[in-house]
Amino acid sequence: MTDLLELGKKAAEVAQKLGADEAEVFLCTEKHVNIKFVGGIFASRSGAVKGLKGTFARIAEPWIKKKGVPFMNSGVRAGVGVRAIVDKAMGFASVSSLEEKKVIETVEEAVKIAKIRPPDPNWVALPEPEKPLSGGGVYDKRIADMSVEELLNISADCCIWGGDFDKRIVQTMSMVLAVSASFCTINTRGVEAYDEKTLFSVFMDFKAKRNDEEVSAGESVHSRRFIENLQPIVENTARKAIEGLGRKPLLEKYTGPVVFENTSWADLFSSIFPSGVSAFNVQENRSVYRGKMGQQVAGTEVTIVDDGTLPDGVDTAKVDDEGVPKQKTPILEKGVLQGFLYDNYSAKRENARSTGSASRQRAFGSATYANQPMIRPTNLTFASGKHTLRELISELGEGVLVKGFLIGSSHSNVVTGDFSVTAGTAFKIEKGDVAYPLKPCTVAGNLYESLNSVISVGNDLKYLQNVLCPSVIVDKIVVST
Amino acid sequence: MDKALAHAAKLGVRFAEVKGEDTLTWQIEAVNKEVRKVSSIRNIGIGVRVYREKGSGFSFSNVLDEESVFKTVETAFKIAKASSKRTLMSFKLAEVKPIEEKKRTSTEKHPREVSLDEKKDLCLRQCQAAMETSKQIANVTSMFGEYHGSIWYANSEGTKVSHEPLLIGLRNICVAKKGSVITDAWDSHGGSVGLGTFEEQSHTPEALAENAAKWAVEKLKAKPAPAGRFDAFIDPRLAGVLAHESFGHLSEGDFVVIGSSPLAGKINQMLGTETVTIVDEGTPKGRGYTMFFDDEGVPCERVEILKNGVLQRYLHSRTTAYALKMKPTGNARSQDYSFEPIVRMRNTFFESGDWKPEEALREIKHGIYAVSTAGGQVDGTGTFLFKAVRGYMVENGELKQPLRDVALTGNILQLLKNVDAVCNDLELSASPFGGCGKLDQRAFVGLGGPHLRVKDVLFGGAA
Repeated sequence: MTDLLELGKKAAEVAQKLGADEAEVFLCTEKHVNIKFVGGIFASRSGAVKGLKGTFARIAEPWIKKKGVPFMNSGVRAGVGVRAIVDKAMGFASVSSLEEKKVIETVEEAVKIAKIRPPDPNWVALPEPEKPLSGGGVYDKRIADMSVEELLNISADCCIWGGDFDKRIVQTMSMVLAVSASFCTINTRGVEAYDEKTLFSVFMDFKAKRNDEEVSAGESVHSRRFIENLQPIVENTARKAIEGLGRKPLLEKYTGPVVFENTSWADLFSSIFPSGVSAFNVQENRSVYRGKMGQQVAGTEVTIVDDGTLPDGVDTAKVDDEGVPKQKTPILEKGVLQGFLYDNYSAKRENARSTGSASRQRAFGSATYANQPMIRPTNLTFASGKHTLRELISELGEGVLVKGFLIGSSHSNVVTGDFSVTAGTAFKIEKGDVAYPLKPCTVAGNLYESLNSVISVGNDLKYLQNVLCPSVIVDKIVVST
Repeated sequence: MDKALAHAAKLGVRFAEVKGEDTLTWQIEAVNKEVRKVSSIRNIGIGVRVYREKGSGFSFSNVLDEESVFKTVETAFKIAKASSKRTLMSFKLAEVKPIEEKKRTSTEKHPREVSLDEKKDLCLRQCQAAMETSKQIANVTSMFGEYHGSIWYANSEGTKVSHEPLLIGLRNICVAKKGSVITDAWDSHGGSVGLGTFEEQSHTPEALAENAAKWAVEKLKAKPAPAGRFDAFIDPRLAGVLAHESFGHLSEGDFVVIGSSPLAGKINQMLGTETVTIVDEGTPKGRGYTMFFDDEGVPCERVEILKNGVLQRYLHSRTTAYALKMKPTGNARSQDYSFEPIVRMRNTFFESGDWKPEEALREIKHGIYAVSTAGGQVDGTGTFLFKAVRGYMVENGELKQPLRDVALTGNILQLLKNVDAVCNDLELSASPFGGCGKLDQRAFVGLGGPHLRVKDVLFGGAA
């Protein structure tokens, strides 16, 4: 820890000597183990063996239950990202090294870059030091110390349990990711922040087959603590794939209320909503919420909070990636717009305070030092209601239930909120119960209108990466095949 | 790196290899005469792969003290051990002769010797030139990019090579506007060369910008391409995309081994007309991306995948070459030290033919000239949909009405049988922006070809 801080301070001083008015140094080391396992014996059920040629085919038989095809990668990513400001212009440079000489060279690059850029009239200053509001998130030593073999066993077990659950499961794949990281932010205004975290993620995808029909179901779990027993989650996923067999087409286009299971709702919500409440997007006129502060913009059932101090939260930390304390930020309170998410730049631009929402994370689990901070929610929470998913289904009576991951939610129009996605696991609801699975259908609507048309909210909060959502009933959704 | 190999030997592996890297990627982006984005990413680290019993293991680190390097080797070893217990397949490597070689890249005006100001000015000059070309130009984006550094490779068989990759590029995107019609067009130039290339008359920032601006403005009066089957005249850039995206991927050894490529088992079969030769190589004559060795230390061989219409060879890593009992071709590549090498292309292109472009064009009675590409889709069977950036109707051998929304669809294996003229104007291009993506890894590639004339291509109208 002291090593990182000392190196950071030295680098920031060098930047100032080279002519930077201000400088910030972000340093991190991230250790990760990444396992993907494609289940063995179950592949023979799907006839995949026939497709294999040459050497692989000879060795591939006989298929043994505990074997499969493993893909593993593990390594350490350490590095530094430097922001230097010269005459209101910012330069950014990064290096995948913590060696002092290389770090100093990177500082030189950042200053050089700042000098060729025009001044940014909206630039004010880097953040000033503030005391953290929470003690930070979970660091689970078990995750940090986990061996490759243990993780491979976990990944293989997921496939074995999935295949054992039902003979109709013909393909199993699971991915396990274990990350432990430490990071610190230093700037010339006195910020000296340090934090650590661990993360354990599992993703699985099972395919069920009956006659010519194939149905896939996926599931993901993210946690800062090691998850002891994955078997119930595995079996649930396998069950979801089996439940999807016997699909019938949706006979006519359906417009009306739809039950979104927590995962599906989180998938959609997290793809669009963060963009709408980013203060930068509001300033740049790329948000429907511009000029709506204090107004009723969503249904009274809807309360949304971003809480970077949430105990056990996936994205909880003492400070954000600019060294500003993470905090709890109310966004929508019973449908009334309460706040936007700010990083340092967007906050100072309008004389507001940063909400500690600066993040260097892009793809989940990727190296952070090579990215400049941008606004991203921490633990974005759609407040839960009273009902179980069962109760939501019976409350709806007649309609459609959408489960699992959606295809295409990342292609939604984040400015207008329009979405059109494909649901691979959707069901017809009749007489207050799940009647039969539907062939893949298109689910379309507008997320911001949907927030105005929430009929009922479930009590089954679930994380999808750093977004927590319950199941919901939403009106004005168009479902078609 | 020697210490890492020695440490691996001590642990007891049947094969070990280490890749070390110190590379720099720069990008400058200017929008309407203002420098908007500049980024500098330096990538330093090592990747280690070991083979033990049936398994293989890969690990990487960018902390490079002895302790961390040894730990990386140990992690790779542990992965190989764990993998060996669980894997259904046994990975073996085709034999290659160990080599020791250093390749240096020397060029005048190497990007590391050119000031940031001069590079920034290339972008600003482009913006200026594009805006002066026409009042209808509403927006200009100019990008300069560079990638260079050193890569080292060593393995337990005694191979030890190093090389210095280099790639630069300049790109200009113009948006033209008239009333409610908005169009765009781009031009670019680059390759494994020094910045002197932008002093050549046809590649100055001004020349590139004027092309992009002229084409964007011309598109304002373009009509959507008609749908239906036409004889097509295909420009070198679009030919390159066909060679790489729709055909090249099918020839990658890993897809062939698992039998998912339609080219599997078709060696020596006639797949195209006699005029068609498709090549993938590391050090092409024209401009492209120069690669001397792949990331398994194997020299990058020239591979004539398709020669005079006959399928000759696939592209291989040492693993896929072993599985198919063929020779490695030097096509194992990793995005950087933190990825395991997989089969990738290098520079993929249609080889030059005999036809002069104007003569090939002259014989088209009623057809479409499709130029460059604005993206598209391909699948594992060779079926493609490409959107050309722009095009022209061809009537009696002459270019007529400019077209937009030019989308071509079909299957590459069918298309190759309909190529009836290959011209003599081969052009290769490589760009530091983007690159080819496969299994979460990106790689810089070169692609190209001469003008091609293809009979009976399905154009999809507005796509």
